[in-house]
Amino acid sequence: MCDVAFLLLTFFILTTQFKKPDVESIKPPSSISEKLLPDASLMTINVTPAGTFYFQPVENGTERIQLLDNMAAKYKLPAFTNQEKVAFTKVQAVGVPIGQLKGFLNLPEDKQKAFKAKEGIPMDSTNKQLIDWVQQSLAVNPNYKLAIKGDVTTKYPKVKGLFEGLRDIDFLKFWLITSQEKSN
Amino acid sequence: MAEVQVKDDGGKGGKVRSKKQNTRVDMTPMVDLGFLLITFFMFTTTFSKPNVMDLGLPAKPKENQKPPDTEIKLNNSISLIIGKDNKIFYHQQDQAGLNDQTLIETNFDREGITKVIERAKAGASDKEKFTVIIKPTDDAVYKNFVDILDEMAITKNERYGVTDIKPWEEAIYKKKVGE
Repeated sequence: MCDVAFLLLTFFILTTQFKKPDVESIKPPSSISEKLLPDASLMTINVTPAGTFYFQPVENGTERIQLLDNMAAKYKLPAFTNQEKVAFTKVQAVGVPIGQLKGFLNLPEDKQKAFKAKEGIPMDSTNKQLIDWVQQSLAVNPNYKLAIKGDVTTKYPKVKGLFEGLRDIDFLKFWLITSQEKSN
Repeated sequence: MAEVQVKDDGGKGGKVRSKKQNTRVDMTPMVDLGFLLITFFMFTTTFSKPNVMDLGLPAKPKENQKPPDTEIKLNNSISLIIGKDNKIFYHQQDQAGLNDQTLIETNFDREGITKVIERAKAGASDKEKFTVIIKPTDDAVYKNFVDILDEMAITKNERYGVTDIKPWEEAIYKKKVGE
């Protein structure tokens, strides 16, 4: 019995993925949904209470580099150096406009973690960079899924703008991250 | 509990004999700790995953494609207007019938909006096609939107749409919240 118990213990220790600390604390609204976030290749859009957008690319090194190349090509930026590409594969979330991405990737790692975006990724009617991130990710691998994590106090028009942008690129099915409602 | 049990066979005789030591170690504390850790890891693995809610948006109509006929009978639908400060209003009127009295305020409680939707559904002439039209104003917050989608799941309404608030509804809404 003890052997089995310790086998299980080893199994759980090895399979547990600890939650990475979020850049900014976002408290998702509660819902009765009992569906858990699937393990699929997932990109996440975080919307902070102030309405700034962060984009979390899929955790897959090679595909992230492709995504970065695609974005650089799309915005006609000078190619990223190998060092910057490596930094991009490790990054938790992108919260800067594409023009400032180079500077962000050249920051030391601990500064990146503490980096709080002032403006986030631009997302309005004239500059839809956030949608481009999604679109270019899908160009790398069309099987990606999208989850949106918004805060309880995020203003609805911000979310609406995001939804409209996603409709524009015909990306219609995604998930909203919620927390389990307390039973009362 | 954690001591190593040593059997003392008493000091008899003058000769010092090497004591026969019991080599069995009590494993209970270790196993206790093991199970504690197992419980911990089991709980953390299942709970660290957030819940999700499906959302499917309607495709944008193509340019050369006529939008489908979306006319819904008034008593077959209910419009929910999500306002500021977690306020929610509902009505089953058209432009002519909507005024201060017919735009009714309710709340997000089980006794509030759930009852309203159920009542409206019971009074619908074609229950299969009963539709909820959700109209968040710009004052609404994301939580309200999720709450309403949640409400659709609670009342098992498959047919609902999210759309912008109409100017004539907004005028009454603004009047109601005192702007």
